[in-house]
Amino acid sequence: MKSAANRPTRPGEDDPRLGEASGDASPDHPESPGEQTVAFRAIRDDDVVSFRTDDASAVGAEHGDENSAPDAGDGDPGDETAPADDATGTSSGEGDDGPAGDEVSPVASARDAEDGSEDAAPAPETADGSGDGTPEEAADADPGSADDAGDDDEDTGEDAGEDIGEDAEGEAAAADSGRPATDAHDAEAGDSEAGDAEAAAAGSAEDGEADPAEDGGGEDGNGPAEDGEDEAGTGDAAPGDRVRETPMPEEVSAALTGALAALRDSVADLAFGLDLPGAEEARRVQAEILAQLDDYVIPRVHMSTAPALIVVAGSTGAGKSTLLNTLANAKVSATGVRRPTTATPVLACHPDDYEWFAKGDLLGSLKRKKAPSHTSGLGELVLVATERLPQSVALLDTPDIDSVVEEHHEIARRMLDAADLWIFVTTAARYADAPAWRLLRLAKERGARLAIVLSRVPPRSREVVTKHFVRMLTEYGLGEVDRFVINESKVTDGMLPDDEVTELRLWLAELSVDDQRRTQAVQATLAGALDSFRTRVPALARHLEAQVAFRAELRGDVDAAYGRALAEIDEATRNGSLLRGEVLARWQDFAGSGDLMRTLHMRKPGRLSGKASQQGPERMGALKAAIRTGLESVVVSAAQRAAEETVTRWLNRPGAGEALTPAQTLGRPSDEFLRRAGRVVSAWQDHVVELIRTEGVTKRAVARLVSFDVESLALIFAVGLLGYGTAEVEVAGKNALPQRLLHALLGAESLRSIGAKARSDLRARIGMLFDDETARYVQALDGAGIPDESAATRLYQATYNLEVAR
Amino acid sequence: MTTVGTTQTRQGLGSRLAALARIVELGPGRADPRLLTEAGQLLLRAGDRLKLSSDHTVVALAGGTGSGKSSLFNSVSGLDLSPTGVRRPTTARTHACVWGLEGAGPLLDWLQIQWRHRFARASALDKGESRLHGLILLDLPDHDSIRAITDTEADRLIQVADLVVWVLDPQKYADASTHRRYVTELAGHDTVTIFVLNQADRLAPEELAECVADLEDLLRREGVENPVIVTTSATTGKGVDNLKAVLADTVARRRAAIQRLEADLDRLARRLAKIAPAEDAPSPPASIDDARRIGLTDALCDAVGVPAVGEAMENVYGVRSAEWVGWPYTRWAAKLRPDPLNSLRLGDLRDEIRGLTGGSVSAQPAEVDNAIQALADGLTTGMPEAWQDGVRDAARSRSAQLPRVLSEELTEVAPSLDRVPAWWRLLLAWQYLLVLLFVAGVIWAGTALAYGVLGAGELPGGLAVFGEAASLPWVGLMVVSVLGLGVLTAVASRNVVVLGAANERDRLEREMRRRIGAIAEGMVIEPVDRELARYNEFRAAMRSVRG
Repeated sequence: MKSAANRPTRPGEDDPRLGEASGDASPDHPESPGEQTVAFRAIRDDDVVSFRTDDASAVGAEHGDENSAPDAGDGDPGDETAPADDATGTSSGEGDDGPAGDEVSPVASARDAEDGSEDAAPAPETADGSGDGTPEEAADADPGSADDAGDDDEDTGEDAGEDIGEDAEGEAAAADSGRPATDAHDAEAGDSEAGDAEAAAAGSAEDGEADPAEDGGGEDGNGPAEDGEDEAGTGDAAPGDRVRETPMPEEVSAALTGALAALRDSVADLAFGLDLPGAEEARRVQAEILAQLDDYVIPRVHMSTAPALIVVAGSTGAGKSTLLNTLANAKVSATGVRRPTTATPVLACHPDDYEWFAKGDLLGSLKRKKAPSHTSGLGELVLVATERLPQSVALLDTPDIDSVVEEHHEIARRMLDAADLWIFVTTAARYADAPAWRLLRLAKERGARLAIVLSRVPPRSREVVTKHFVRMLTEYGLGEVDRFVINESKVTDGMLPDDEVTELRLWLAELSVDDQRRTQAVQATLAGALDSFRTRVPALARHLEAQVAFRAELRGDVDAAYGRALAEIDEATRNGSLLRGEVLARWQDFAGSGDLMRTLHMRKPGRLSGKASQQGPERMGALKAAIRTGLESVVVSAAQRAAEETVTRWLNRPGAGEALTPAQTLGRPSDEFLRRAGRVVSAWQDHVVELIRTEGVTKRAVARLVSFDVESLALIFAVGLLGYGTAEVEVAGKNALPQRLLHALLGAESLRSIGAKARSDLRARIGMLFDDETARYVQALDGAGIPDESAATRLYQATYNLEVAR
Repeated sequence: MTTVGTTQTRQGLGSRLAALARIVELGPGRADPRLLTEAGQLLLRAGDRLKLSSDHTVVALAGGTGSGKSSLFNSVSGLDLSPTGVRRPTTARTHACVWGLEGAGPLLDWLQIQWRHRFARASALDKGESRLHGLILLDLPDHDSIRAITDTEADRLIQVADLVVWVLDPQKYADASTHRRYVTELAGHDTVTIFVLNQADRLAPEELAECVADLEDLLRREGVENPVIVTTSATTGKGVDNLKAVLADTVARRRAAIQRLEADLDRLARRLAKIAPAEDAPSPPASIDDARRIGLTDALCDAVGVPAVGEAMENVYGVRSAEWVGWPYTRWAAKLRPDPLNSLRLGDLRDEIRGLTGGSVSAQPAEVDNAIQALADGLTTGMPEAWQDGVRDAARSRSAQLPRVLSEELTEVAPSLDRVPAWWRLLLAWQYLLVLLFVAGVIWAGTALAYGVLGAGELPGGLAVFGEAASLPWVGLMVVSVLGLGVLTAVASRNVVVLGAANERDRLEREMRRRIGAIAEGMVIEPVDRELARYNEFRAAMRSVRG
């Protein structure tokens, strides 16, 4: 149903053009954007009416037909875009579920003049709409809807028609520029026969349009429509309406919404774990962008019909709240001598807009309150309605930007990010303050629409101060901004004398009435915000990339340090430095005391050979333990150095230190390391024994003569491997005693293969040990947050998509 | 009374500054360089300020733009010295007004106040203002306008003035630019800070009271324990006399300069304390105690393998001695056994094994490293990170040479395992003699058996005695006892060898230990002791700085 409701508007769009075209009898008319828009509105209302009075289903069906018809038949941009406008318009107008009901409600509730005019228009439009799709049906439908329209006109015409008339006359300028279309409507509304007239007009229009459409002259028929839209973009009348109801064509809007949602997701996904220089800033920017997207951009794109939100910002004590009170003519925001005064933002708007702000998505994350709570102002928004403020313009009083309460600055920034216009309040005593100018710079960067109020100006120095301030502004490139000067005067009950703010009030009123200007302002600020994403989001992405790169560097440090440790161990087990100290002494003991010789037994049991194989097991054990200790200490000392080196490297990189606070424990091997290293080494020793046992294929010639003790031979092998450098067979090297023995026993081939296997096994085991060690660093890095490498790409992509969608 | 107090304070300040100088000297590499730089600057500033006129008190009027510093300045001095205005910011250069000019020149030079902005109150203002004599009042530029972003003059003078008067106004009294950057930072400076709430005329009395209360609250929250708040109105002149009275009081005591420096010192000390050892941290030993020395020596002995060397020596001696002092018959019997080495045609390996045991001692570098590491780790508990590293680096300062030095030194005393003592040779000769005797006895017995018992023939006359059967038992007894004597000698000398080797092992281990201890003392303990002494001195200096 919803889709149907959305769609009906499309035909409406077409209709209005036609209707007006025919009505005016000037070929140009259909093209004029103003008419289009007006017609849309009218149609909407009409639709509603027709839904109500006539059979809704029929209309829906008609609409459906119509929808399909123009789309399929035309394929013109003009048509397509136009319906899109409508669709968005209605969607924004609608709150929740039933399209018809929703549409009706606005009519009934708020808009007097506009509604009236719109009401008047709709009838013919619907008729037209149906006419577009199928001429016959349209013909049938026409009378019905025309009647409806007539009824509506009468109903609202009494109220609205007059109002409009007055408005139109009184504020001719506004009406003219705002929406020329209204003129037409006014005129229609004014006529008692408006309904008939329009119906007739619509009928003819339908015919007119229907013909080209049917003829397949869609191009012709739509051609003007396109023009009209183009004009609408630039023309006076159209933009106002268009923006309010249909800021962007449907596809674009959908694309934009999608792009924004994607952008939001990818921004929200970011995590800047490492405290690089700028990380804090990046996190802040991230939060800001998120808040701005949620509070402002996404709702604003969705619902461009919203009243403009004007944020009053400035220094503490500048009189923001006083200004708001004065404009609202009520004490809506607390004032006082205490600085800072305002903690909770206060939004004041016309009662008609109240509902919108109470329910709307704009600043949706803030809890609405009737009055400021005394506990905390965070995450809250006080909402007040006041008749004194013009419609469609809401004022938001913010906390200060420069007091000691720093949360206020955040809130203020957030409010500013959600603003359509900024009113920047400063005082004669403050206008040169640095924070104030930072804010102005921000406004300039964001392209936000800005008005500046120089408040609390002593009357006698008004000229000097104003001149100086203006000069500063001009130098700063803000000379063109709207400025208001308020004299320092007695504040009674939180309000200034009303005549001080007359100018400002006029400005607001103009803004309220002059839809076009307001729209322009809103659009400009929205565009500025979207523009700002162009630089802010890539900046985030760049920082993220920096983090990714930095993390890779830190990771690289770890790998480099432990890689070096591994190489050191390799070196130590090759250059013979292991055969020192206790290992050497034990080896000498082992060899010198004859145990070495006793490793070998004669295979043939000789007369006395039986007894000869007795060895001192304690000496062998001692040698084994010595080798284990020696190897272990090499590993531990290398690990210690690697750990130190890693931490040193990390600390030498700015920004790493803070993120990795447990660096103290990282500066040395883990507690378990010693034990684990011992286990690894003895496991390796066992492995060597196993290797000798299984692979130590004894030369056959030898095997007949001699047998050997595997354990001892493994020890000799280990000494040869680690102590004498290499397992390769050296022919007559003096040091190669174990090798020669082994060579003689096992044969060169077998010895070589066992040597290679034992060495690679040792390396693998130590490598695994070190992997566990490096895992601690990786954990520390991960604990600080893993920047997702693809997130940067996603950010760029999202930014690009956003640009495309615009 | 005041002078005495001042002198005492001066002396106290002097010793604290000396301690700070010591910290600056000892700190590099161990403390945050920025803090040390700051400490150095403070030392310089204190030295300068204490050298300059102590009769003058430099009072700076500081505050945001538009708070009325210049108006107040003019109001206190009674003259329109500093231009006031409505344009913001108004004052760009510091103005100074001096009550009592003599001796103030160098001070003003030091403060870098331009000549044309100096004013003397001595002549123009000698009407009952003598109580302000010695006051140098500075009207600073603001610190919060867009101009101040590029101009740090206010910042500089706020850091050096003896007394800072914060000129606030109802509109700006809670500005972050004042509070965050200065008031909170200088929270300990209560005695040398005055807060003036100017433009009091803009508020109704009850509003003013609320405002003052709010300001006081705020200041207390920021750590200013006893804020002195004076409300003034430079335009109406109300409250200016109060301010003057406060100033006069400060000036008369002539202590602001020292108090300011003390406050600065306190603040610096607090910040240093964060990186320095905590007051209650366990104090590390002034030097390495005996237990640790022994621990280190033990560890190094293990790295060299002293026990293993001793054991090897003992074992090898035992085995080797058997070749000399053992019973020759068992040796000969062993030779009859088939030798696997020979069967592998590796007979020369035997000599190689013999050569292998030619004594050499060396240290295992990795174990040496670990020993040093363990020593450093044991010492540094409770030390700040930087000092832990320092101690470790000191311990390691010569660890690269240590294994080599140890090896060289110990090789001197290393037992050469293949030496042969003279008594071994004697015993060998004795054993061979016994063997000869045995052989001779056997021959005699054979002869006696053949000729005496069996009557195989007649021996030549001279040898007839050998053929007597009666001698046979005696000869037999002799042969047996010669054998027994050989066994006994072998067993006894074996025991002697073992005993001697054990003794030698003890002696050797003691000697090696002694040498290792001496090397450790010179190459490890001494640098560590130096570092520990430095650390303890640093701690002591920190305590003195804290006062």
